[in-house]
Amino acid sequence: MKQYTYFPGCAMGSTGKPIQASIDAVCEVLDIELIELEGWTCCGCPGESINELAATAIATRNLAIAEKFKLDMVTACSCCYRNLLAAHVTYTEDPRIREQVKKALAATNLEYNGTLRVRNLVDVFINDIGLDVIASKVQRKLTGMKVANYYGCHQTRPYGPDDHEFPVWQDQVSEALGAETVFFPLKAQCCGGTQLFSNKEMIYKLLYKILDNVEKHGGECISSTLCPLCFTNLDANQGRINNRNGEKFEMPVLALTQLMGIAFGLSPKEVGLNKNISPALKAVKPYLKSKVQEVVK
Amino acid sequence: METETIKEAKSFVDEVAAEPGGEKINECIQCGVCSGSCPTVEWWQYPPRKIIAMIRAGKRDMVLSSTSAFNCVTCYSCTVRCPRNINPTQLIHAVEAIAEREGYKPKTPTLTLHRGLRDAMMQGRVWELRLAMLFYLKTSLLEGMKMMRVAWDLISRGLMPLLPPKQTKKGGKEVTAILKAVEAMQKSGGAK
Ligand code: SF4
Ligand code: SF4
Repeated sequence: MKQYTYFPGCAMGSTGKPIQASIDAVCEVLDIELIELEGWTCCGCPGESINELAATAIATRNLAIAEKFKLDMVTACSCCYRNLLAAHVTYTEDPRIREQVKKALAATNLEYNGTLRVRNLVDVFINDIGLDVIASKVQRKLTGMKVANYYGCHQTRPYGPDDHEFPVWQDQVSEALGAETVFFPLKAQCCGGTQLFSNKEMIYKLLYKILDNVEKHGGECISSTLCPLCFTNLDANQGRINNRNGEKFEMPVLALTQLMGIAFGLSPKEVGLNKNISPALKAVKPYLKSKVQEVVK
Repeated sequence: METETIKEAKSFVDEVAAEPGGEKINECIQCGVCSGSCPTVEWWQYPPRKIIAMIRAGKRDMVLSSTSAFNCVTCYSCTVRCPRNINPTQLIHAVEAIAEREGYKPKTPTLTLHRGLRDAMMQGRVWELRLAMLFYLKTSLLEGMKMMRVAWDLISRGLMPLLPPKQTKKGGKEVTAILKAVEAMQKSGGAK
C-alpha cells in the first residue's frame, strides 16, 4: 500500500465528480491510499492573474499543513498542481516573496519549511506504481481503441516532470491498458478552460482546434488529463461547436482514470461514466461485455 | 538631463519590475518567441513581446487600458520556451494586476471574471454557481442565458452544486486572516 496526502481542490467536488469517482476506484485497485488533507482550502490559482502574492500565500497555507504529515502530497487537478508547486518553488527560491508569505502565514501560526513534495497523480502512476503493475491489473484489454491523450497545460507546464511540449505519460498508461494511442500535435495545447465565461468565442475556437486535430489524426476518443477544468471544457461544450463538416462534434471524452477503471474491469457507473456529457459510453461499450479475456473489435 | 519620456519609461518599467513575475523585464531580447507560442495571440491588439517593448518605452496608459493582457489564458507555453527565462506569463499577469489595482477599465469581461475568481478564492473554497451567477449579473444576463444549456447539463448531473461547498470553519478563518495580512502589506507598499 502506498500512502499520500491528497489535495482534491474545489472543482473535484463539482464538475470533477466523475473524475474523482474514477480516481477513488482506480486507486483502490492499484493499492494507493489517498488521505484527504484536512482543512484544505482553495489552491490559490483563481487569484493568480491579478494577485500573485495572495495566490502564493493561500497555496502555502495548504503546503504548511500537508508538510506535517511527512508524505508526498498528490493532486489530480492540473491547476491545483501547478499553483501549489509554483508556490513551493517561489517560496524556496525567491527570498523576497518568502519573507512576505511568511509574514502573511504568521497570522495563523503556520509555517512552511519547504520540504513537501507536490506531485501529480499521473506521476505517481508512472513512477511509483509502474506500467507493469498497471498492465497486470487489466481485465478488459482495450485492443483496437484509438485513444488521443489530451494533457492540457498545467500537468506539465511550467514545472511538471513530463515533457512540456509533447508529454507521453498518459499515452504510456493507455498503452499499458492495451489501447492504441494516437499522436496529435495539440495534445498539450491550452483548451482555455479558465475563460469560458468571459471569452466564449475565443475558447470555442481553441476547443475546435483541439477536437479537429484529434479527428484529423484518427482519434476515436479523448483520454483527458485529470483536471476538472480541461475535462469539463472538452466534455460539456461539444454541442456548441461545429466540426469541418458543419456538424456538432461528438467526440467521446473520458478522464484517464475512467479509461483505466473500465480496463480494470469496473462498471461505467463505478468510474462515473454515467455523468459524462459527451458520448463517452459509446467508446467503451464494445469492451464491456467481456471480462478477463481479450476483446477484438 | 533626462527628458520627460525617458523618466516616464524608467518609472513604468520599474513599476512592472517590482511586481512578482515582472522582475526580469529588462532581460528580454525581444525575440518574439512568446508571441509566436501564444495560442490566443490573434485576439491581442498588442502581443506579449510588444507589451514588453511598450512597457520599456513608458507607454503606461496604452498598455494598462488595453484588453490585450486579459487574453492570457495562463497556459505557460511562452514561459517554457522563453530563451531568457523571463516568465512572460507572470509578467503579463503583473500588467493585469496593475491595471486592476489602478482602476483602469479595459473593455473586457475577463477583468470582472478575474475579480470574481479572486473573491471566490477568498471564501476558502470556490462555489462555481455563485461565481457564474455573479459574473453574468455584472456583465451580461443575455450571455448568462446562452449558457443555460450547459449549466443545465451540469446541474442535472449534480456537477454544479446548488449549495456552497462544505469546509472547516478553521480553514475559512485562516484564509481570511492570511489575505488580510497580504492586503495590509500591499497597502503599506511593502509588497505587491
Ligand atoms: S520569449 Fe522571452 S526574450 Fe523572447 S520576446 Fe518573449 S519575453 Fe522576451
Ligand atoms: S501564458 Fe498567456 S501570454 Fe503566455 S502563451 Fe499562454 S496565453 Fe499567451
